[in-house]
Amino acid sequence: MNGELELLASFAEERQAAGAVAALRRAQADDIRVFAPIPSEHVEEAFERRKSRVRLWVLLGGIAGALSGLAITIGTSLEWNLVAGGKPIVSLPPYIIITFEMMVLLGGISGVLGFFFHSRLPALESQRGFNSRFAQDHFGVLVRCAASDGDRLEGLLREAGALAVERVGAAAA
Amino acid sequence: MAAAAKSVFEPDYGDVDRGVLSVMAPPGIRYWLWVGFLAALVLVGGATWTNQVYRGLGVTGLTQPTMWAVYITNFVFWVGIAHSGTLISAILYLFRTRWRTAVYRCAETMTVFAVTTAGLFPIVHLGRPWFFYFLAPYPNERSLQPDFRSPLVWDFFAISTYLTISSLFLFMGLIPDLANAREASSGWRRKFYGLLSLGWHGTDEQWRNFSMAYLLMAGLATPLVLSVHSVVSFDFAMAQLPGWHSTIFPPYFVAGAIFSGCAMVLTLIIPLRKIMGVENLVTAWHLDNLAKIILLTSLIMSYSYACESFLVWYAKDPIELETFYMRYYGPQGWIFWLMIFCNCVIPLLLFSPRVRRSMVTLFIISLFVNVGMWSERFVIVEGSLAASFEPSQWRYWHASFTEVTITVASFGWFLMWFSLFARFMPIVSMTELKEGLGWLRQAIRDSYSRAA
Repeated sequence: MNGELELLASFAEERQAAGAVAALRRAQADDIRVFAPIPSEHVEEAFERRKSRVRLWVLLGGIAGALSGLAITIGTSLEWNLVAGGKPIVSLPPYIIITFEMMVLLGGISGVLGFFFHSRLPALESQRGFNSRFAQDHFGVLVRCAASDGDRLEGLLREAGALAVERVGAAAA
Repeated sequence: MAAAAKSVFEPDYGDVDRGVLSVMAPPGIRYWLWVGFLAALVLVGGATWTNQVYRGLGVTGLTQPTMWAVYITNFVFWVGIAHSGTLISAILYLFRTRWRTAVYRCAETMTVFAVTTAGLFPIVHLGRPWFFYFLAPYPNERSLQPDFRSPLVWDFFAISTYLTISSLFLFMGLIPDLANAREASSGWRRKFYGLLSLGWHGTDEQWRNFSMAYLLMAGLATPLVLSVHSVVSFDFAMAQLPGWHSTIFPPYFVAGAIFSGCAMVLTLIIPLRKIMGVENLVTAWHLDNLAKIILLTSLIMSYSYACESFLVWYAKDPIELETFYMRYYGPQGWIFWLMIFCNCVIPLLLFSPRVRRSMVTLFIISLFVNVGMWSERFVIVEGSLAASFEPSQWRYWHASFTEVTITVASFGWFLMWFSLFARFMPIVSMTELKEGLGWLRQAIRDSYSRAA
């Protein structure tokens, strides 16, 4: 026994899983992971985390896209500086369209890349504690704790409405 | 009464999974015959196009002044079809609309394949298709660059962006469902879905990032969808041609796109829910709401047609008056009246709740709208070119075997990819149906009580 263990509880209801997370956090257990078949605002609130950093990826991607849109349109017009229809070589109003499209394009691609990066996708190995039912109709709460806290936290999980609580095994110290 | 109440189907998470995953079961011979038929249409279209490339555009009905006709009509039609997918998946997502959950995946899939189909037509329309990349800016020894003041270049950027963003949006939404399919399958299917789901396990951290990314993608896709069809309308509105040069084109095209796209969703999903047995997941309530959008956009279209004609009458420009007179009463005037009948008259039936809840009627109305919207694109594209400034130059396009075959093949191409996707991918979002399970149960209870 190396002093730590992991408890895996399964819940039928989203609110029960969120309640379990809140109870565990009140009990100073911070190494918690939830598996869910749907996104849950209740679970999100129970964790009280800051908003995802994917926002930053989209913002930076969008800015980079807008700048590259301007650079492409202005740069290529200056390179092929043919007057057409008596209009200025650099005609900003029509270039806004390209700038907008590039902003959306790079903002979107960057957002997806940010999502992959922060979600650690693609993942080659299965996450410890994951069970097929957590992709379908159950919610799983995995908590790592000191072996001495095991019984107390198991009690909290059962109080929150866990259908089953299992000890996944001794975790590495 | 109590017995009747007990017999109401109240789906839970497991029922949603079973319902959607059963659609992905190994298909039978009839399915493969259908896909084979569609593939044959594509092959015939491909052979016809090869002949066109070999012999030149002379094999088509294109001639001065109608150098744009069915190919560009098809392009605008398919881009329009694509738009409702993003409306349902992105715009209605931002508004947290309840009924979108059952139909949005189907609409998104339709969007991706419709844009793919649309993207073929500018290339099919080229005499030398191998030079299609001339529209893109790239370094070359002559410092030759595209003119960014041209709407055709805007179109190239808009459509490419739209295809990329809508594909990413579709793929992102699929990831949790693919993980679900992975867990429920075995053999090669497990490996296939495992690969596509990228090792998704639905942890709180993954959902947190997913929700944020999905929300922001919806936020980006919303102005994008409005911009893309506006840009497509600029292809016409920027030209100094009677029938094209109009400031109402962008909103008029966007409304038309949503109108035709929602109709196409109905055309696809009504047979699909019957054939694949998901009537309890995609209920009459979902389609009723879709029909209301069709009704609303039909009224906008009727207003736009009236407004367009009024502007011409009010401006009193003799050439434009003549163009519009020919549009209504010329040799191809019947196409205009067919358009009015299909787009303005037939959808009025949707004011009746009974019609909106009858699947057969709804399906027939959706077909009329598809025909009407294709006719509208044709009237604008070909009709305006055929009878413009000089009466001595007026000439109407005549159907050619090549163009008709390639048009039919484009439907085969679209339906082939859609059919393959619908059978091997989750065509209804399990995740979102589960999220809105309460609404789905309510919809089913409503349909039971109505039937009673």
